Amino acid sequence: MKKIIAIAWKDTILRFSGWAEWLFFLIMPIAFTVILAGGTGPLRDSRVRLVVVDQANSPLAVDFIATLGKSAAVRPEVLTLGKAEDQFAQRQVSAVLIIPAEFDLQHLEQGNVQLELRQQPNNMNALVAGRAVQAVISRVSSAVDIASSSVAEAEKIKPFASATARQAYFDAALKEAQTQMSAAPDRVTVAQGATKEQIEYDPRANSSAGQLITWVFIPLIGISAMFAYERQKGTLRRLLTTPTQKGTYLLGTIIGQVATALGQMLLLVGFGILVMRLNWGHSPAALGVMLLASTLAAAALGTMLGTFVKTEGQANGLSMMLGMVMALLGGCWYPSELFPEFVRTAIKILPTSWAMQGLLDIVLRGQGLSAIMLEAGVLLGFAAVFFVIGVWRFRYE
Amino acid sequence: MKKIFLIGWKDVTLAFRDRAALILMLAAPFALTLGLGFVTGRFSGSSNTGVSDIPVVLVNQDGGQIGNTLVNVFQSQELASLVVPTVLDNPALARQEVDADKAAAAIIIPAGFTASVISGAGTVPTQGPATTGEVVQLVLYTNPTRPTSVSVIKTILDGFVSQIEVGRVGGQVAVEQLLSHGLIQGQDAARIGGELGLRQANVAQSSKAIALKSVTGSGEAVKFDVLAYMAPGMALMFLMFTVSNGGRTLLAERSQGTLPRLLVSPTSASQVLGGKVFGIYLTGVAQVLILILASTLLFRLNWGDPLGVLVLVLAAVVGAVGWGLLITAVAKTPGLVSAVGSAVMLTFGILGGSFISLDNMPGWFRVLSKITPNAWGLDGFTTLGMGGSLANIWTPVLALLVMGAVLFTIAVLIFNRRGIMQQ
Amino acid sequence: MPAILEVHDLVKKYGDFAAVKGISFDIKEGESFSLLGPNGAGKTTTISVLSTLYAPTSGDALIGGHSVAKEPMAVRQFIGVVPQDLAIYDDLTAGENLSFWGQMYGLGGTALKTRIDEVLEQIGLADKANMRIKTYSGGMKRRVNIGVGLLHKPRLLFMDEPTVGIDPQSRRAILDSVQDLNRQGMTVLYTTHYMEEAQELSDRVGIIDHGELIALGTQAELTHQVGENDTLILRLGELENAAALAAAARSLPTVLKADVSDHAVTIIAPEAEDILAPAITKANEIGVKIRSVELQEPNLEAVFLHLTGRALRD
Repeated sequence: MKKIIAIAWKDTILRFSGWAEWLFFLIMPIAFTVILAGGTGPLRDSRVRLVVVDQANSPLAVDFIATLGKSAAVRPEVLTLGKAEDQFAQRQVSAVLIIPAEFDLQHLEQGNVQLELRQQPNNMNALVAGRAVQAVISRVSSAVDIASSSVAEAEKIKPFASATARQAYFDAALKEAQTQMSAAPDRVTVAQGATKEQIEYDPRANSSAGQLITWVFIPLIGISAMFAYERQKGTLRRLLTTPTQKGTYLLGTIIGQVATALGQMLLLVGFGILVMRLNWGHSPAALGVMLLASTLAAAALGTMLGTFVKTEGQANGLSMMLGMVMALLGGCWYPSELFPEFVRTAIKILPTSWAMQGLLDIVLRGQGLSAIMLEAGVLLGFAAVFFVIGVWRFRYE
Repeated sequence: MKKIFLIGWKDVTLAFRDRAALILMLAAPFALTLGLGFVTGRFSGSSNTGVSDIPVVLVNQDGGQIGNTLVNVFQSQELASLVVPTVLDNPALARQEVDADKAAAAIIIPAGFTASVISGAGTVPTQGPATTGEVVQLVLYTNPTRPTSVSVIKTILDGFVSQIEVGRVGGQVAVEQLLSHGLIQGQDAARIGGELGLRQANVAQSSKAIALKSVTGSGEAVKFDVLAYMAPGMALMFLMFTVSNGGRTLLAERSQGTLPRLLVSPTSASQVLGGKVFGIYLTGVAQVLILILASTLLFRLNWGDPLGVLVLVLAAVVGAVGWGLLITAVAKTPGLVSAVGSAVMLTFGILGGSFISLDNMPGWFRVLSKITPNAWGLDGFTTLGMGGSLANIWTPVLALLVMGAVLFTIAVLIFNRRGIMQQ
Repeated sequence: MPAILEVHDLVKKYGDFAAVKGISFDIKEGESFSLLGPNGAGKTTTISVLSTLYAPTSGDALIGGHSVAKEPMAVRQFIGVVPQDLAIYDDLTAGENLSFWGQMYGLGGTALKTRIDEVLEQIGLADKANMRIKTYSGGMKRRVNIGVGLLHKPRLLFMDEPTVGIDPQSRRAILDSVQDLNRQGMTVLYTTHYMEEAQELSDRVGIIDHGELIALGTQAELTHQVGENDTLILRLGELENAAALAAAARSLPTVLKADVSDHAVTIIAPEAEDILAPAITKANEIGVKIRSVELQEPNLEAVFLHLTGRALRD
C-alpha cells in the first residue's frame, strides 16, 4: 500500500538526515569486521606472535627457531633482548622466548639447558605460545635423547674404547637422528569439513558473520526508540487522527526498517565477498532466507521493547546494551565453542545465537537451504512471538 | 571556586537521575562484564581456559599396535576432561558427525598405518635403497567452526605422531649404528629395533635435555582470570559514553535556555565551563568507582593496590574527559555529540584492547591505540591487578593526565572560537 | 444550513475522573465556533474525542453525518486537526512534512504536489520549503503545524490553542489565516483561553469549565447575560476588609451586585463610571485601602466571572 511506502520512506529520510548514521550503518561495521578478522586478505598471518631472543647463535638455536616457524600456532620473530623486553613491558607481545648463550650441542649433551619463556599473565595467546614451544622442545631434545640411548645401547653390548670414541658415536647418532627426524614424512593429512573447496580456516568468516548480526540487530532493536520518539513528539498521536489504520502504521514502520536492514546486510555481505573473499554467495536462497528471518526477529524484538520504554533516550541506551550483550552471548564476538557447555545450551534462548549458527552454516560450512531451515524457523518463531506481544501492548501515547 | 563546585554537583545529580544515561553508564558495562563472565566459564568455577569436553570421533581401520595406541591415548584418563571420544566403524559416518557440528574433528586411522610406520616408507634410510610404498597418513577431518578445539586436537595428535617418530627414529638410529660398528648381527636387527623403539617412545614424553622455565611479568604464576582483564575494559569503554554524554548536556543546556540563564547571572563563562567540566569529571569518577566496587563484591575481582587504583581512575577520567570535551567542541548539536560519542566509545573500545588483546595486531594499530584512554588505563589496571603498586603505573598515569590536559586546551580554544559559551 | 457537527451528551472519563461531563452543542457548516475556557477545563479532551483519538465514555458526536464512536475512519477523512503541541518532524523540510502527511490522508501524485504548493503559499513559507523544520522559528513551526491540517481540504477544522506561547506577529498571522479560511467556507472549531481571540474570531462561543458547557451562544447573547451592565473591580490589599466594602457598595444606588473574590470587590452596575467615585468614597469612609481599579465593559471575561466567580486566566 502506498501509505506503508510513505511511512517507510519518511522513516528512512529521518534516520539518514544526519551523516552520523552512516557511521553506524556502514563505516563502523566494516571497520570492526576487518579489525576483528585480523586483516582482509588470506595473506594475513593469524598465528600468535612470539618474540625470540637468540643469545646463542648456534646451529642448534637456528634449527630450533626454524622448527618454531613451521608451527601452526605461533609465528616467531627474532629481536634483540632490549627490544624484546621493551615490547614485553609495554604489553605489545604476549610471550618472549629467551635462548641463552649456552644453547648448543655441547651443553645439550651434558643436559639441563634452560630456555626462559616470559608470558603475560591472563593471556590466552601466551598459553598457546607456551604449548607450541614445549612441542618444539620435545622434538629437538628427542634427537639428543635418541643419540644418548643409542650410545647407552652400544655400551651395553661393549664399552667404548675411549671418551673420544664415545663422543664420535654420539655425534654420529645425533646427526643421524636429526636427519631422520627432519626427513620424517607427514603422517597426518588435514581435511576441512563440508566445504566445496579446500579453504583455509578463516576467523574472518566468524568476524564477518558476527559483526553483520551485531550492527544490524542494534538499530533494529532501536525501532523501540523510533516509537518512543514519535510518541514524545506527538506525531504518533497526530497520525491517529488521519484516516490511517494502526496496522498500516506499524507495518510501514517495521517494513521500512527491515528493508533498510536488509540493504545494510547486503552491503556488508558484498564487502565480505569482494574484499575479504568469503564464501557468502554460493547459495543465494539460503542467504536470503537467513537474512530475512534474522531481520524479522530483530525488528519484532524492537517493536516489543518499544512497548516497555518511555523515552527515546532510554530506548537508545537499551537497544545498544541489549544488542551488544545478545551479540556477545550469541557467539558473534568470540566463537561460541569457547563457551562452557551449559552456557552453549543457555544461549539458545537468544535469537542472535541462532542467527550466528545459520550464517556460519552458509559462509563457513558451505551449506545450503536445507541446512538452515531449522535456524530460520526458530528465528521466525521468535519474530512471531515478539510481534504478537508488541502489537498487543502497543500504546499510542 | 564554590560556584564551580555547585554547578558541577548539580550536573552529577542530573546525570544520576537520568535513567536513560544510567543504562549505558552502569547497566551496560555491568551486563557485558556479566556476559563475559558467563561465556568464559568464570562463573562455572572451571579452572581450565575455556575449552573442554571436545567431542572427537575416531575410526580405527588399522588394527595394528600404533592405531590401537592412538585410540587409547584419546580414551585415557589424562585427557578425560579435555576430550570426549567416540569410536565409530565407518569413516563416512564420522565425517557426517563433524559436518553436523556434533564433533570438533574426526580422526581416521586407515588400514596399514602401523605397517607403514614400521616399514619406514617415505623415510630416508642411511643405507640401502629407499623403501618403496606409500606413506599411510592419518586423516584429521576438522570442523571449521571450532578452530580452538581443532587446534587442541591437532596438538594432541601432533604430540602422538612426534612420539611415534621418535620411537621409530630412535630404534632405527640405534640399530644402524650398532650394525655399522659391528656390535650386532643383521638378523637381530628387527627385534632389537622394535624393543629400542618402544623404549624410546616411552622416554620421549619426559625428555629432560631442555627445560623450559615459564616466567610471568611479576615473577609468579598468576591464575588466568579473564574477567580481571575484561571488567576494567568494559568500565573504561563506557566511561567514554559518560564523558560524551556530559558534553551533550552542555550543548543541550544551550538550547534548553538554562545555559544562557546561567550566563546572565553573576557567573563568568569560565566558571560555568569549569563547573560543567568538573561535573562531567565527577560523574565519570563515580561511574568507574561504582563499577569497580560492584565487580569486586559480585565477581570477587581483585583490582590490586587501592591507592594505585584510585589514582589510576582519577587519571583515566582526566584523559577521557579531554576526549569528551573535544568531541563536544567539534560537534555542533547535542544529537551529533551523542552519535559521535557512541561511535568513539565503540571504536576506542576495540582500539584500546577492551575486546581483543592487541598482541597480534600490526605495529601501527598498537601505536594508534595509544591515543585512547582505554589502552593506557587497561595497561595500568593490568599492572595493578598483577600486584603492582602506585610506583609501577606512573607511565600510564602521566600519559592520561597529559592526554587530558592537551585535549582540554584544544577543546577550550575551539569553544572560544565557536562562541559556544556566549549568548 | 445543516449542522456539520452535532455533539450529544458527550462524556469522557479517565478512570474515576470525568474530564468532560456531558456536553452537547452544534456547529453549522461555515461557522466559526470557539470553545473558551481556562486551563484544565476540558477543551483538549473534547477535541481529542471529536477527532476520534479517544472513544467517548458515553454519548456521541456526528461529524458530517458520521458517528465519532462508530465510524472513526470516515470522520478522520472529513476533519483537519491542528494539535496544541507541535506534531511535525523536525528533521524533515516543510515540503517533506507536507508530502508525508498528505499521503497519510490519501493524497498522491500531482494532486498532492499541487496541494503542497498551495498550502505553502497559504502559510507563507513557499520560499523556505526546503529547509529543515528545526531551523525555523517558533512561529514558522506553528504555521507548518497548521498547514499539515489543511492539506486534504477538510470541511471541518479543529484548532487546539494554536497561539499559545508564540510571538505577537505570528499570532496575528494565525488569527488572520483562520479568518481567511473561514471566509473561504471552512468550518472552524477553535479552542482557546484567550478571550480576545474568541471575541475576534467567532460567530458563536461555548464557554467550558470543569468539563461542562456553562454557556453557549453568540457573543451578544452571552454578554447579554451579564446584561448591559458594566463591571467595576476594586482590588484590595490582603489585609483589607473586602466584605465590608462589598456590603457598603451594595448600598450604593444602581449597584446590582457586589461580590468578593480574591481580595477584590466586583461591582456590577449599569454605568461603572457613575459609581466609581462613590465607591472610592465609601472605601475611604470605612478605612479600606484600594490598590487598583478596573473598569470592564460587558465581554466574555465578565460572562465567565459572572458564571463562575473566577477569572478566565489564572
